[in-house]
Amino acid sequence: MADIIVLEKMNKFYGTYHALKDVNLTIAKGEKVVVCGPSGSGKSTMIRCINRLEEHDSGRIIVAGEELTDDEKKIDRVRREVGMVFQSFNLFPHMTVLENLTLAPRLVRKTATAEAEAIAMKYLTRVRIPDQAHKYPSQLSGGQQQRVAIARALCMNPEVMLFDEPTSALDPEMISEVLDVMTDLAQEGMTMVCVTHEMGFARSVADRIVFMDHGEIVEVAKPYDFFASPKSERARTFLGQILAH
Amino acid sequence: MSFDLSLIASSLPKILQGLGLTLNLLAVSTLFGLILAVGILLMRLSRRAWLVWPARAYIYFFRGTPLLVQLFVIYHGLPQFGFIRQSVFWPILRDPYWCSVIALSLNTAAYVSEILRGGVLGVDKGFIEAGKALGLSKFQRTTRITAPLAVRLALPAYSNEIVSMLKSTALASTVTLMEMTGVARTIVADTFAPYEIFIAATIIYLVLVWIIQTAFTLIETYTNRHVRKI
Amino acid sequence: MSMLDGWWDDFFFGLVTVLQVFSVSLVIAVVCGLLGASAKLSKSRVLRGIAQAYTIVFRGAPELLVLLLFYFGMAIALTQVVQLFDPSVKFIDLPPFWAGSIAIGLIVGAYMTETFRGAFLGVDRGQIEAARALSLKRHQIFRYVRFPQMWRLALPNFGNHMLSIMKDTALVSIIGLEEILFVAKMANSLIHRPFLLYMTVALIYLAITTVITLAVGWLEVRANRHLRGAR
Repeated sequence: MADIIVLEKMNKFYGTYHALKDVNLTIAKGEKVVVCGPSGSGKSTMIRCINRLEEHDSGRIIVAGEELTDDEKKIDRVRREVGMVFQSFNLFPHMTVLENLTLAPRLVRKTATAEAEAIAMKYLTRVRIPDQAHKYPSQLSGGQQQRVAIARALCMNPEVMLFDEPTSALDPEMISEVLDVMTDLAQEGMTMVCVTHEMGFARSVADRIVFMDHGEIVEVAKPYDFFASPKSERARTFLGQILAH
Repeated sequence: MSFDLSLIASSLPKILQGLGLTLNLLAVSTLFGLILAVGILLMRLSRRAWLVWPARAYIYFFRGTPLLVQLFVIYHGLPQFGFIRQSVFWPILRDPYWCSVIALSLNTAAYVSEILRGGVLGVDKGFIEAGKALGLSKFQRTTRITAPLAVRLALPAYSNEIVSMLKSTALASTVTLMEMTGVARTIVADTFAPYEIFIAATIIYLVLVWIIQTAFTLIETYTNRHVRKI
Repeated sequence: MSMLDGWWDDFFFGLVTVLQVFSVSLVIAVVCGLLGASAKLSKSRVLRGIAQAYTIVFRGAPELLVLLLFYFGMAIALTQVVQLFDPSVKFIDLPPFWAGSIAIGLIVGAYMTETFRGAFLGVDRGQIEAARALSLKRHQIFRYVRFPQMWRLALPNFGNHMLSIMKDTALVSIIGLEEILFVAKMANSLIHRPFLLYMTVALIYLAITTVITLAVGWLEVRANRHLRGAR
């Protein structure tokens, strides 16, 4: 299988703070990778570098065959192939659900409005809320908003989906409706990189688990191995804390 | 182009002769305006329509018309009526100083009452409920909880209003008062050096604005000492 | 009201002048506000310094003083420039219309600078990131994501600035522009009904500011319709 994301010796600094240290990671097409680790470990920073919401300071990032540099055209090409879902949804509040979904296809892919709306309705049905198409985001529950955000990213027909703690801002009863949609997506063969604390989801969906701490990738393992016998002391401590409740 | 820096320097002391009257107008009108504003605020917050509507009409009129026009109505307009010229108020209403004070006070009261109302509405209902739960009377809740919190919320907007008032005192020069702008206009009429004189006057106003803002920053720091991080 | 017969057409043309000064000042104020906000948000220290000085001076100086400075000051400057080419010119008058409109526009532009700057910073960063993740271009992000949300945030203050401009137009009568307050002064010198005349001026202003307030309220309802029924 072809590698769709390659990170090579990537480093990232915030001023003097060393946020990512020599990160190496290769993700194949169709693979589902869950990134976990304590807060401040650099997980979000790493996936935000993949579509260049953050700029890396050294090393190489190659996504869908393009190396990320200052070249705006390349960045645009990469972002078209990479969908992203944020912790705080970031739906555009002044647009209806349907307008949120059709904006980028119309402006970036130059899709005709009618066609863009048909595609949008297809994905809204996939995330199980086609009846909310004409509402504004503030009129939906958090779980519904996050499913709209997933559909918005899917409308661009991306090669890869990045999830940055997609359930952390949700009330407990809404988490499963979002995870169900993500599980469906995984079963359809989407390449996914997902930062999350949902270990049940990680166990059932991930091909590999990446454990990070203090800006480093400490451990990469199959879910069964990671949960049954973590190799590093830091991973054991982390799992102990997160599975305690 | 001739631009005389020494003229700016030499005109400063002359313009400063108007400083006393400027500050006098500012202080007296601010005080009267504040007292009036509290009265209007209480009317506006009342549940009785016959108190609320006059307050709303007052605010609507004074915020919807230019201060200069209000000043003209009071100073030039009122003497049209014989009963005013015969009344005991005539010595006040024929005096440009008092007419300026009246116009400035009436005008600022409309703005200040709205600023204070914003503060009152901004007070978290939870604090008032806590006061009720502790058994404080309505009067106690108003004076001990609502008022102090509302004042803190209203202070930044109130400091802007004072600055705005300072600038408005310049309009008194249109009814012959010799406050700073009036003095500056007289000097310009003599020397015809508008750039230098008006810039000199502007510098003094900017210093006064700076003093007002600094004073309010200190007051805000003091009133917000309970939220200061230790 | 019959006492005002013969003066209504003067008031009407005065009103037209007021609306002209208002329109020109509004355009200048918006342009100054956008430029000022961009300068304050720019990386250049020089631009930030200039914008800072601009807002301090024009928000701190009395409106009347700025107006007089522009009217008399610019007339002198203009005369001196023209005399370089034609020494026979004695004095050039800057039209009070332009002196007034420029002065009011610059004053209110200083307030708009702060409003636009606040609105620009008020749009959540996540919104811009989401748009970038969807690979929208910079101008598309501004047009579809940033501007509509800025507009909603800026609208209440923008409405107040429009009211300020409208009320400041009364000052232009002091430098001799024939707007409604000037008309009232002229009429008073003939018919001696000052209260009636100045009150008429006040009511005309009240009518215009009411229209502005209603229009801004309508725009606000439109800009906030996505929040209706929000949980």
